[in-house]
Amino acid sequence: MRHLAKLLLVALTLIPLAAPAAAPAQNLVLQGATEPPGLDLTATPASATATVVFYNVQEALVKVDRHGKLVPWLAERWNTSDNKNYTFFLKRGVRFHNGREMRAADVKFVFDRALNPETKHPAVKQYEVIGDIIVKDDYTITFALKSTSANFLWTMARQGSVIYPREAVETLKSEPIGTGPYKLNEWVRGDRIVLVKNGDYHVKGLPKIDRVTLRFIPDANAALAALKAGDVDASMFGLGPEHIPDLQKDSRFQVIVGETTNDVIMAMNNSKKPFSDVRVRRAITHGINKPDVVKGAMFGLGRVLGTNVDPLNPYFVDMSGAMPYDPAKAKKLLAEAGYPNGFETVLKVAPQYYYTVRTGEVLADQLQKIGVKIKIEQIEWGQWLSRVWKDADYDLTIIGHAEAWDIANYANAKYYFRYDSAEFQKLFQESEVTVDDKARRELYVKMQKKLVEDAPVVWLYIHPRLAVTKKGLQGLWKDLPAGAGVMDLSEVAWAK
Amino acid sequence: MRRYILRRVAAFVATLFFVSALVFVVVRVLPGDPALLIIGAEGSPEAAARLREALGLNRPILVQYVEWLTRALRGDLGVSLQYDVPVGRLIVSRLPVTLPLTVMAAVLMAVTALPLGLYAARRHRRAGDYLAMVVSQIGIAIPGFWAGLLLILLFSVHLGWVQSGGFAGWSSGLWPGVRSLLLPAIALGLFQTAVLVRATRSSVLDVLREDYVRTARAKGVNELSVIAKHTLRNAMIPIVTVAGLQLGQLMAGAIILESVFALPGIGRLALGAITARDLPVVQGVTLFVASTIVLINFAVDLLYVVLDPRIRYE
Repeated sequence: MRHLAKLLLVALTLIPLAAPAAAPAQNLVLQGATEPPGLDLTATPASATATVVFYNVQEALVKVDRHGKLVPWLAERWNTSDNKNYTFFLKRGVRFHNGREMRAADVKFVFDRALNPETKHPAVKQYEVIGDIIVKDDYTITFALKSTSANFLWTMARQGSVIYPREAVETLKSEPIGTGPYKLNEWVRGDRIVLVKNGDYHVKGLPKIDRVTLRFIPDANAALAALKAGDVDASMFGLGPEHIPDLQKDSRFQVIVGETTNDVIMAMNNSKKPFSDVRVRRAITHGINKPDVVKGAMFGLGRVLGTNVDPLNPYFVDMSGAMPYDPAKAKKLLAEAGYPNGFETVLKVAPQYYYTVRTGEVLADQLQKIGVKIKIEQIEWGQWLSRVWKDADYDLTIIGHAEAWDIANYANAKYYFRYDSAEFQKLFQESEVTVDDKARRELYVKMQKKLVEDAPVVWLYIHPRLAVTKKGLQGLWKDLPAGAGVMDLSEVAWAK
Repeated sequence: MRRYILRRVAAFVATLFFVSALVFVVVRVLPGDPALLIIGAEGSPEAAARLREALGLNRPILVQYVEWLTRALRGDLGVSLQYDVPVGRLIVSRLPVTLPLTVMAAVLMAVTALPLGLYAARRHRRAGDYLAMVVSQIGIAIPGFWAGLLLILLFSVHLGWVQSGGFAGWSSGLWPGVRSLLLPAIALGLFQTAVLVRATRSSVLDVLREDYVRTARAKGVNELSVIAKHTLRNAMIPIVTVAGLQLGQLMAGAIILESVFALPGIGRLALGAITARDLPVVQGVTLFVASTIVLINFAVDLLYVVLDPRIRYE
């Protein structure tokens, strides 16, 4: 009996030696402000959906990396000899979360489905250039385009172009599966989404975090409290610029202030008097002191913008000084247009986006000085979408356009700006089929100059990326070139 | 009594029918289109139009309502546009948060307001009364969301005693669940407690002036008995009436506090559904809340009989 006890004791002491000590699980709790309206990237273009799913759960053939460059991803390379036929060579051994290997037939299924009107893909227009999809073998697929499209590779990198297995198509909205570094573990509606590490990820050594919990805390003050109380490790999109100075002084946190593709504009209804007159639109632009707007509404955080193309775009040209603050010139232009005493107008803003109201208040104050009296009308987001965005029933409005490569909006005369310039539209069409980089850049410069000249909207500033994390969290993107809502967690890790 | 109950059941059904029709029309007349909200400003109006068609929102309101009602009568409240989950399941999943939260706030309200109101009435126009009235005035003046934030700052950020928000769930035991609902329950119950203190005080004051209280005291009944048996029981009818109404208001208050404390309850579900124009969820939650309030009122009516045997429902 004594022997037995001794043996047991020895055995017990040896157990820790025999089993290698498991590394402590790396967990990450994030705060997000908005819960996604479903998790299907092929059904909604919502940023909140991209935040969770894009790059984390599902990926595309091509990726926009943290520097804004297009890099091969699920396709290890591609080639085209005529800019009309693109052949993609898929990375081998990439497995979906259900264990099955990704093949060319899956890619074909994804794009055939996107093109099918029954699918109701929100970005179907981007894929309409695809004429034929030919599977050469399990790892080679060719897209034959109807015409040259300079943006085709960018289209393949967009959130609507993620590759998923055909057998999971019915559950994309609630349980999406893909090839990403994380698998969806659970979605407690109204509370949190939990992602867990995909041990089979096709990039060796990634991801480093075992479990990511994204908690939905809509109230900015509550988010700040959760961060300070240590209940969340990072706030990704929930805090405003007013919280930043205080947190920058706090040694427990690191603050990330970066660039985004989110250009905040004051749109003018170009089809409605007095904004149908370009002199009025220019007067308004000259009447706005943009650096003061950034100071007053954004605590000085955010880059002043002069035209639509954002600084993360390779064709960005700094035009912020092209239409400087000049109230005397503004008044002169207004008088020329027949408004020597200015006029009254209504600015519709949706308080769901905090910066719209604050910016509106600063603008109302500034424009009063050139005789433009602004009445601010706050409307709820649902109403904004119906009245302003869909029906263009507005004079002025403020909103951030978060999409990358969105200059196309100005070539669409039906878009809510109602900007209708044949010259601009021609330039844009040309840029869409010009593949040579130098020639295309020239077209982009011309388009930006044309926009400055016509002043269809006032480009105010880039809404900065504001993320706050506990010290020691590494690998988050500083800038957000792939879309203002994109949160790539694949390389994130805690410092050892 | 049976006829009374039958009448109440008929009124219950009629109320639900009326509320459902009203909400159905109001939500659809409101500017804002569910399809546009799902597609968002990054999509195209054409994509939104196709989605609207697919969701069946292009059909006449009456056709949509009849279809919804027919299914609701079979117990099927439809599927959430936003979450793609049956509405019934969604509501049931939120009950473990909102129900305990409301009950905790109500218990807090009762155990604080009744003694405080009684105390104030007994100390009428003395220091204790004035102090109680000042405290209750402050309670009425502080908005629940602000009280919530102050509580978070004190107990979570500075003292670190409780989590700043979120719900721990009941699976890990009773205490973690109660702990995550404690601050929201206090913030939620604060205003209603202050109101109930005042209602209790004035009702007790009225009864204390009655002849039968003077008689009881004159014949030498001890003071505890005078208060508990003669005063409080007679004062309870107006208090219960106010408290019944307050239970309904607590559910309304939960909408804001669940957002402040990031709790996945019915209130936040309703708020999110209204913002997203998730019509089946708005409809389902409204029906649920309306039924609860009707049931609370019914319970209050039944309580009258217990409190005052003279009341008969025939």
